[in-house]
Amino acid sequence: MSPDIRIERLLRVIPLRIRSLFRSADVERELDEELRYHVDQQTAANVAAGMAADAARTAALRAFGGIELRKEQVRDTRGTRWLEDGLGDVRFALRSLGRARGFAVAVVLTLGLGIGANTAMFTLLRGTMLKALPNRHGDRLVYLRLSATGEHQTNTLFSVPEVADFRSSSKTLEEIAEYSDVMPFTLVGSDTHMVRADVAVISGNFFRVMGLDAVVGRLTDAHDDGAAASPVAVLSSHYWMDHFGGDPAVLGQVVKLNGMATRIVGVVEPAPQYPNPVDVYVNTVTSPHHLGATMNTLRTHRMTEVFARLAPGATVDQARTEVSSIAARMIRDHPDAYQKASHYAVTMSTLRDAENARARLTFWLLMGAAVFVLLIACANVSNLTLMRGLGREREMLVRTALGARAARLRRLLLMENLVLALSGGALGVLIAFAGLKLLILFAAQFSPRSGEIHVDAVVLAVGLATSVAAAVVLSYVPRIGGDGGLASSLAPTSRRTTLGAGRRRLQRSLVAVQVAACMVLLTGAGLLVRTLSNLHAVSTGVRVDHVLTMSLPLGGDLLKEVMNLPANLARYERMRTVVAALPGVTSVALGSGEPLRTSMMAFDIKAEHQPTRPDAPTPRAGLVTVDPGYLEAIGVPRLAGRDFATTDQRGTTRVVILSKSFARQLFGTENPIGRRIAPTGEVLKVTPFTGDWRTVVGVVGDTHNDGLDGDVSPMMYEPFAQEVIISAALVVRTQSDPDQMKAAVLRTLRSNFPSQLIEQVATVAEIRDESVATRRLNAMFIASFGALALLIAAVGIAGVLAFSVRSRTAEIGIRMSLGADAVRVRRMVLGEGAGVLAAGLAVGAAGALFTSRLLSGFLFGITPHDPGTLAGVAALIGGIGVAACWLPAARAAQVDPATALRAE
Amino acid sequence: MSKPSDLVQGTLDLLILKMLALEPLNGWAIGQRLKQVSADVLQVSDGSLYPALHKLEQEGWVTAEWRSSENNRRAKFYALTRAGRKQLQLEATNWNRLARAITAVVRLQEV
Repeated sequence: MSPDIRIERLLRVIPLRIRSLFRSADVERELDEELRYHVDQQTAANVAAGMAADAARTAALRAFGGIELRKEQVRDTRGTRWLEDGLGDVRFALRSLGRARGFAVAVVLTLGLGIGANTAMFTLLRGTMLKALPNRHGDRLVYLRLSATGEHQTNTLFSVPEVADFRSSSKTLEEIAEYSDVMPFTLVGSDTHMVRADVAVISGNFFRVMGLDAVVGRLTDAHDDGAAASPVAVLSSHYWMDHFGGDPAVLGQVVKLNGMATRIVGVVEPAPQYPNPVDVYVNTVTSPHHLGATMNTLRTHRMTEVFARLAPGATVDQARTEVSSIAARMIRDHPDAYQKASHYAVTMSTLRDAENARARLTFWLLMGAAVFVLLIACANVSNLTLMRGLGREREMLVRTALGARAARLRRLLLMENLVLALSGGALGVLIAFAGLKLLILFAAQFSPRSGEIHVDAVVLAVGLATSVAAAVVLSYVPRIGGDGGLASSLAPTSRRTTLGAGRRRLQRSLVAVQVAACMVLLTGAGLLVRTLSNLHAVSTGVRVDHVLTMSLPLGGDLLKEVMNLPANLARYERMRTVVAALPGVTSVALGSGEPLRTSMMAFDIKAEHQPTRPDAPTPRAGLVTVDPGYLEAIGVPRLAGRDFATTDQRGTTRVVILSKSFARQLFGTENPIGRRIAPTGEVLKVTPFTGDWRTVVGVVGDTHNDGLDGDVSPMMYEPFAQEVIISAALVVRTQSDPDQMKAAVLRTLRSNFPSQLIEQVATVAEIRDESVATRRLNAMFIASFGALALLIAAVGIAGVLAFSVRSRTAEIGIRMSLGADAVRVRRMVLGEGAGVLAAGLAVGAAGALFTSRLLSGFLFGITPHDPGTLAGVAALIGGIGVAACWLPAARAAQVDPATALRAE
Repeated sequence: MSKPSDLVQGTLDLLILKMLALEPLNGWAIGQRLKQVSADVLQVSDGSLYPALHKLEQEGWVTAEWRSSENNRRAKFYALTRAGRKQLQLEATNWNRLARAITAVVRLQEV
C-alpha cells in the first residue's frame, strides 16, 4: 500500500479510536440507533410480507441474533477494548463494592493490618540485616575478639603487643586497625561548657580499613600516628549534626578533650557504629595513656579492639583458620599472660555478622510473627470473599447466560479484588510509614544499623506485590460457572444447596487455620510476658524504691585528676553535705558507682593462707568503693561483721566488705571476718590500685549488677575515703517520690558546684527497668501481633458462623417445625463453632510446641513447653471463640420457622 | 437463527467490501443486496454484519456517515475508502486463487 494511502488510513482510524475512548456515551447511542434501524427495517419487511406486527418484530429480532449480543461483538472489534473494559471494570468494581460497604471495609482493614505488619518488619530487616554494609567493600571487613571465662571476660579486648603479633604474622589480613573506647573523656567546646563525650582512640588507618569517607574535611591517616603527631579529632556525623549544627565551619576549631587541645579536622560519613556509639574519633597522641610504656609493652594491658580487612583473594574461612593458629602460638609462647584455667580464645567474625548478632534472632522471629498475622488476615479475607461470592453466584450465572464469557467475569472479579487489595496495601504501607519512628527506636536496641532503616522503593514494591498476589488468589476462590446451570439456581429451593459441602469444609478449615496461627502467636507472647514477670520478681538485692542516684565523674585529664585525691575527696564530701541538707532527703551516701550498674573495675583476688587450685580460674570480683551508710541507703542487707566507719580513713588499716557469694567462693564455709585478701595480677601495674592486703570486716547480701537474668555479681566493697577515687556517684534516699527530688538535687549541686559534671540521674527503679527494657519491647511487639491476630480471627469465626446460620435459615426453620426447640438449635450452632475451634486449638498447640523452642534464648524462669501458658492461651482463644459464636447461635434460636420457610 | 456456513463467514469482509464498492449502503441494505444477488444462497445472519462492518471501519477500509434514508429515518451509511479499495483487490485476488485451487482438486479424475 502506498504511503499516502497509509497516512490517509491512519488519519481516519486514530480520531475514531479517540472518539470511542472519550465520547463513549455518544458512540454507544449511535450503535444502538444503528442496530435498531436494522431491526425496524426487517420488521417492516416482515409486515410487508404478510406477518402480524408482533410476530414480525419477534422474527426480526430472532434473525438478528440478539441486539445486546451484537453490541458486545461490535465493542469487541474496537482496538481500545481492553482500556475501556479496564476503566469500566474499575467503575463497576467501585459500584458493587459501594453496595457492600461493610465487606469492603472489613477486607481493606484486615489486609491493611496484615500487609502493614509485614511491610514494617520487612523494612526493619532490609535496613538492618539484608542490605550490605555502607562501608566500601564491607563484606571484606572482619572483627576479632579475645575472650576468657570469668567475670566481665566475654570480650577482654586486646593489648598492643597482641595486636602486633597478628599484624606481623597474618597474610590473610591485609590491614589491621585499632580502636579503643574505654577511656572516659570530657569535652570542652567553644562555649566552655564541660560535657561527657564518647571518644574512641583510633590508629591512623582506621577509616581506610573501614572503607569510610569524609563528609567535610579529612580523615586520619598514617601521619596522625605516633607521639610526634599533633592531636586531631574527627567528628561522627550525628555528633556534628547534634552539637555543631552541621556547620562546615567546625573545621579547624580546637576543643579540649580531657584538657588537651585537639583540632577538629573532619567529619566522617554516617555509618553503623560498632561496638558502641562514638561521638568523636581521636588519634593516639590525644590520649597520653595510649602512648605510655605500659600500654605498648604490657601484654596483659588490654584496651584495644581490632578491625581488619581481608587481603585480596583471601576467604573468611582462610583468615579464620590463620587467626586461630596465630592465637594458639601466641598463647603458647606467653603462658603468663594467658592463665590456663581461663581458656583464652580468639574468634573472628565478619563485621556484618558481628553487627547483626544481637538482632538476628529477634528480627527473624518478629518477621515470622508478622507472616502469621498476614496468613490469618488472608484466611479471613478468603472467607469473607467466599461468603460474598456466594451471594453473587446467581448474578454471575445470569451474566453468563446473557453472554458474558467466564474469562471476562473473572476479570471483573480480579478488578474488584485488585481495588480491595491495593487499598489494603496502601493502608498497610501508610501504617508502616506511621510506625517507622517507633520501629527505628525498637531496632536501635538491637542493631547499630538502625539509622539505615527507611521505607524505600523495594519495600513499596514488596507491599505492592503482596497486594496483587492476594488479589489474584482471591479472584479464583469463588466459582464462576456454577454447577447445575441457571435453571436450578433460580429454582425456589435453591437456597438450601447454595453452599456446597466442599466449600463449607474450606471455610471451616480456613477458620481452623486462623485459630491455630493465633494459638502459636499468643503462646509465644504469653511465654515472653511471663518471662518479664519472672524477671520483675527477681530480687535485685538492693532497695528499689525511694532511691535516687547520679554519676559525678572527675573532669579534665583523668590521669592527673586521680592524683588530686585529697581535694577530690573533700569536694565530694561537701557535695554530700549540701544534698543532705535538702528537705525530703533521708540520707545521702557517696560511692564509686551507682547501684545495679556494673562496676568499672574488676580484679583477680588472692586470699591469705588460702591455697589456689591450679585448675580453677582465679577468683575475680568487681570493686566498688562506698562510704559508711551507702550500703544501708541502698538496702543491701548486712549478713556478718560491720559496716565501714568514719575511722576507716587513708592511713589506717585497709578494710574490705565482701558480697555473700564471693565470700563463699574465696573461703567456702569458713568465717571470712578477719581474713585478708588482696588484688593481684599484671593489671595492677597500670592502675593506681595497689596489691596491699585488706582485712575482711563484713559480709553483705548479693546484688544483680549484670541484669536480672544474669548471675549475682561477685563484689568487694572498700571505704570511699580509703581507696583511690577514679569516679564518684551520689546515692540519695528520699522520703517521698525520688522523681520529684531530681530537680531539687540537681539545682543544689549545680549552684554550689557549677563545674561538676552530673550524669545519668536516675532512680534505682529506672536502672532496674533498663535491664529488662529490651525484653519488654520484645514482649510488647509479639503480644501486639498476637492481639491483632486474635481480633482478626474472632471476627473471622463470628462472620463464618453468622453466614452459615443465614444460609441455613430454611433448614433451621424445618428443624424447629419438626420439634427442635431454641436450646437445641443454639446447641447445634455452638457445636459447629466449637468443633472448628477445637480442631484449630489442637493444631495450634502442636505448632506452638514446635515453634516455642525458637524462643528459648529469650526466656527466663520458664520452659518453652510450659503447660500453664499453653492451657491459659487455649482457654483465652476458646473463650473468645465461643463468645464470637454466641450471637449467631442466639440468632439461629430466634428463627421463626414459619417465616423462614415462607421466605423462599 | 440461520447459521451461515463457515466459508461465508470467512469471506464476509470480501462480500461487504465488494457491495460497498458498487455504492455506499447501510447495514440493512447490504444484507438485502447480498440475498438478492446470490438468490438467497448466501444466508448471512443479519446481526453478524455489524461486527464485520465496524471492524472494517476500525481498520480504515470503510468510512461511515449518518444520512437520512428512504423512509426519512437516520441511518449509518458505509462507503469504501482508497485503502479499502486496495484491500478489496487483495482479498479478491486471494479468493480467486483459492477457488482455482479447489476447483483443480475437485476436477481430478476419480479412478
